[in-house]
Amino acid sequence: MKHLIPEFEKMKERFPAGFESSLVLPCLHRIQADRGFVADEDIDGLVAYLGVPRVQVEEVLSYYTMLRREGIGRHHLQVCRNIACSMRGAEGVIEHACKRLGVKPGETTADGKFTLSTVECLGSCGTAPVMMVNDAYHENLTLQELDRLIEECK
Amino acid sequence: MPGRQLIMTFEVTPTSHTLEAYKARGGYQTLEKALKMAPADVTKEVTASGLLGHGGAAFPVGRKWGVMKPIPGEIHYLCANADEGEPGTFKDRWILENAPHLLVESMLITSYALGVRHAFVYIRGEFDLPYRRIQGAVDEAYAAGLLGKPVFGSEFALDLVVYRGAGSYVCGEASGLITSIEGRKPYPRNRPPRLTVRGLFQKPTVINNVESLANITGIIRMGAEEFRKVGTPKSPGTQLVSISGHIAKPGVYEVEYGYPWAKFLDEDCGGMLHGAKLKCVVPGGISTKVLTRAEIEPLTLSHESVNPAGSGLGSGGMIAVAEGTCMVRFLQVLLRFYHHESCGQCTPCREGMGWMHKIIDRIVAGQGVPEDIERLYAISHANDGTTICGMGDAAGYATVGILNKYRDEFEYFIQNKRSKFDGRLECLA
Amino acid sequence: MPRLTIDGREIEAKAGQTVMEAATEHGIFIPYFCWHPKLSVPGNCRICVVGVAEKDGGEWVEIACNMPVSEGMVVFTNSEKVRARRKATMQFITLNHPVDCGICDKAGECTLQDYHYEYNGERSVSVDAKVHATKHYALSNRIVLDNERCIQCTRCVRFTREISKSNGLGLVNRADHSLVRAAEDGSFANDAYSDNVIDICPVGALLSRSFLHKARVWYLEPTASVCPGCSRGCTVNLWHRRPEWRLKAPGMQAANASVDRVTPLENPAVNGPWICNKGRDLPKLLGRARAEVAMLKGKPADLPGAIAQARSLVAAARRPVAIVSSWGSNEELAAFKAAFGTRLEAFVKADHLPEPGEVVEDSLLIRADKNPNTAGATALFGDRAPAIPKDADLVLVWGEGLDFGLIPPAAKIVYLNAWLQPENGHADVFIPTSIQTERDGHYTNFAGVTSAFSKCFAKPAGVADAETLFPALAAAGGGAP
Repeated sequence: MKHLIPEFEKMKERFPAGFESSLVLPCLHRIQADRGFVADEDIDGLVAYLGVPRVQVEEVLSYYTMLRREGIGRHHLQVCRNIACSMRGAEGVIEHACKRLGVKPGETTADGKFTLSTVECLGSCGTAPVMMVNDAYHENLTLQELDRLIEECK
Repeated sequence: MPGRQLIMTFEVTPTSHTLEAYKARGGYQTLEKALKMAPADVTKEVTASGLLGHGGAAFPVGRKWGVMKPIPGEIHYLCANADEGEPGTFKDRWILENAPHLLVESMLITSYALGVRHAFVYIRGEFDLPYRRIQGAVDEAYAAGLLGKPVFGSEFALDLVVYRGAGSYVCGEASGLITSIEGRKPYPRNRPPRLTVRGLFQKPTVINNVESLANITGIIRMGAEEFRKVGTPKSPGTQLVSISGHIAKPGVYEVEYGYPWAKFLDEDCGGMLHGAKLKCVVPGGISTKVLTRAEIEPLTLSHESVNPAGSGLGSGGMIAVAEGTCMVRFLQVLLRFYHHESCGQCTPCREGMGWMHKIIDRIVAGQGVPEDIERLYAISHANDGTTICGMGDAAGYATVGILNKYRDEFEYFIQNKRSKFDGRLECLA
Repeated sequence: MPRLTIDGREIEAKAGQTVMEAATEHGIFIPYFCWHPKLSVPGNCRICVVGVAEKDGGEWVEIACNMPVSEGMVVFTNSEKVRARRKATMQFITLNHPVDCGICDKAGECTLQDYHYEYNGERSVSVDAKVHATKHYALSNRIVLDNERCIQCTRCVRFTREISKSNGLGLVNRADHSLVRAAEDGSFANDAYSDNVIDICPVGALLSRSFLHKARVWYLEPTASVCPGCSRGCTVNLWHRRPEWRLKAPGMQAANASVDRVTPLENPAVNGPWICNKGRDLPKLLGRARAEVAMLKGKPADLPGAIAQARSLVAAARRPVAIVSSWGSNEELAAFKAAFGTRLEAFVKADHLPEPGEVVEDSLLIRADKNPNTAGATALFGDRAPAIPKDADLVLVWGEGLDFGLIPPAAKIVYLNAWLQPENGHADVFIPTSIQTERDGHYTNFAGVTSAFSKCFAKPAGVADAETLFPALAAAGGGAP
């Protein structure tokens, strides 16, 4: 985490003075992008850097769905299952992905390549169903396209 | 197109979101004009325009601004609410992706009017492209000297931070959003005090929806009087409607207030998917009460037309539902969502959401009991106006809206341990 | 000064007060779980709803803890609407609560239990399984947490943020899966005030591990006392068995005369509603092995004989010195002064010094002087540090904590002590004395505030009370105490 401090310092410039606590989320995002998850030592480093109580960072990490404290598969498949996507076949997409990968939502394949998750509304209702592969949206997803994406990631 | 346009006025191309393209469309000229006005006159113009908030509650923007009386030397903040998370809603995403500079310019003008020196765009964490677009626009604006230092020879300078959320529906609630920017769990706050009195880090803060803000530039450019010529007297301007579900042409449409609803669905949106029949419409995000085909027939898309029908245009997130869709399973998806997104802070929502989710899951599993329907009503009522933020109410409205109109489907499911239809949410060809 | 009406009673509130504060101040009860007068207002439990009359004759229902008072406001705490809302909230609060009062230490003094009978009283209307969460979770080595009983009022979390400032607790996760957890940096285990969260927990979620399943609270009664742990002198309640619930089984007699738990006795002049963990641990301090037999040069003697011997030593001394206890009550100190006047050169000693690992001093309650009555003692005997003159031929030592190596070898030693300690046997005369829980008295704290403590138990036979002992030691003609 220490090597990211120069970046954090730059980020800080646009914030008003005294907004150290505000930097918790952006710093955690950056740490997770770097390591794939937020490790205990990252929390220690961040707490020391920002001067916020450790419990605040722990609460934040436990609350937000996008933040995690453990590593996951190399490709994170997140299928939206909210109403608009369900109305456009998301339930079939999830079922197909489970079968194809041999895992249930929330699990990682044995080879560590894929983690499958279900998520609530991604704001792609007009192009449903949608699945995120890591940060990228794949909209109007078909089962054929899902197969192709999985093949491509292998 | 359904009526006149104020926002979606240009052709979207791979470069139409850039500063260069925006300037070519006359971008940032309105800012220059606004800076020559007195800040109070900018607010006056916005108030006169009658612009209604586009986040869901349709609160007059000018009135919200008016509560915050700029005090010279005092710190004030502005936040754009880009935490678009109400299921069925994806219209702010269109602005963020395609017209990010319109938002930046509008926020500059708004900040000038309100004496704001630091502004934030709070964008939901999952939005990757919209984030890169708005962050790109902010970076361009900094590089061009529009942000970060006095602009156009005035003394006014603004710092603008794009703040990414990390996955939480309640961040879309203004006080939850603020708590999130403070780097904590996004627990909404009790009112009083209002956020315009004590908001971000206890300083007066105005939070406006992205679409509300995006209208500011236009209002100042054309003047309130011209703006009011669009739409209806009680609903001036336009609304970005994002439509999804069983509709032939889903997407974002800019609708002039007062446009006939049925015509919008049948003509502009190409009618229902696979020629199906419309069963009902979720008007503005899942937290608004569903309306049947017959109910919308005489209505226009305006607050004064929809509100008396017992619902609202909300966030503009419209979902069209085809005949044959199982409303029990439909509600199951909604209640699972509300349970997942309850922050857990206050009792009625924390306990009520989980309870409703358990009940609906049990009904769908064929283990429903007749009392379940009354229980769902009771839990909804016990969440009406009793929670810290509006989420408990929202879940109640959605539930009551569906139960009122499709009670027979619930009774059928409980009695026969299966759906009245085939349990589908999809609309097959 | 806004005037408002609550349940038909007109009251005058202070500007800026909430309805809850105004009502409480005027003795009008509005139920609450999360609200606490010393903590911030989260307004999360929603049980404190009250009705406010609207102009059109309607009634608007909102939480009282976050409702500012205003002129002419008409408030109802028990209207039909309010009762219905409260009942619904009670249904929610008990929805996932295990209702295991039969095995819960909080039963008998539990807000949830009381409110259930008062505001709901019906069985659960839910047929669904409850949410399960961790039970017997060790929040620290002092506190055990039952997450199923927790109603997430966040009083404990706010206490660690706003009062003890350890930031030791948080609420992790969301919705009905939220859990109170200790920060992973151990800040809660190091919070010297952590046990206050047990008192402020309105349910049986946070329980003391040292008191766990020791007694149903209705078997116990509180006696007002003063914590002797430092010169703050926090007022406390010492909880011990009620006479009617005395244990009769053989081998259990000691339990009838022991302090089972210590809780704060709210006192705005000294400690507010809080005490530190050292105060909670008083049973350990007071439960140490007692000296119950008088001794002459280490050999057991009867008490009158020891007193007579001590009296003659004092009477014969030419350069007698006294080392006075800072644990003596004001009454005992006065008796000493009255008995000996200036006959003995008196110094006040610190009976206790900070223990290794103990918090020495902080800005909330804990004082560096670990003795309860230094102020009372030094007021009578001065604040010179004990310096025993080389030619002293008698030293009367009162209380523990003196290094006997400082006493000139030739001097005779008369030692008054309550505890079984090696020094007892080194004195020429040793007289066992009573402790705080065996007598009434007063201490004066560092700021000059005097607080009273009362007797909980009878003193053991063969033990003297210092207050009556001193006149006996000084009396020319003698006489038993």
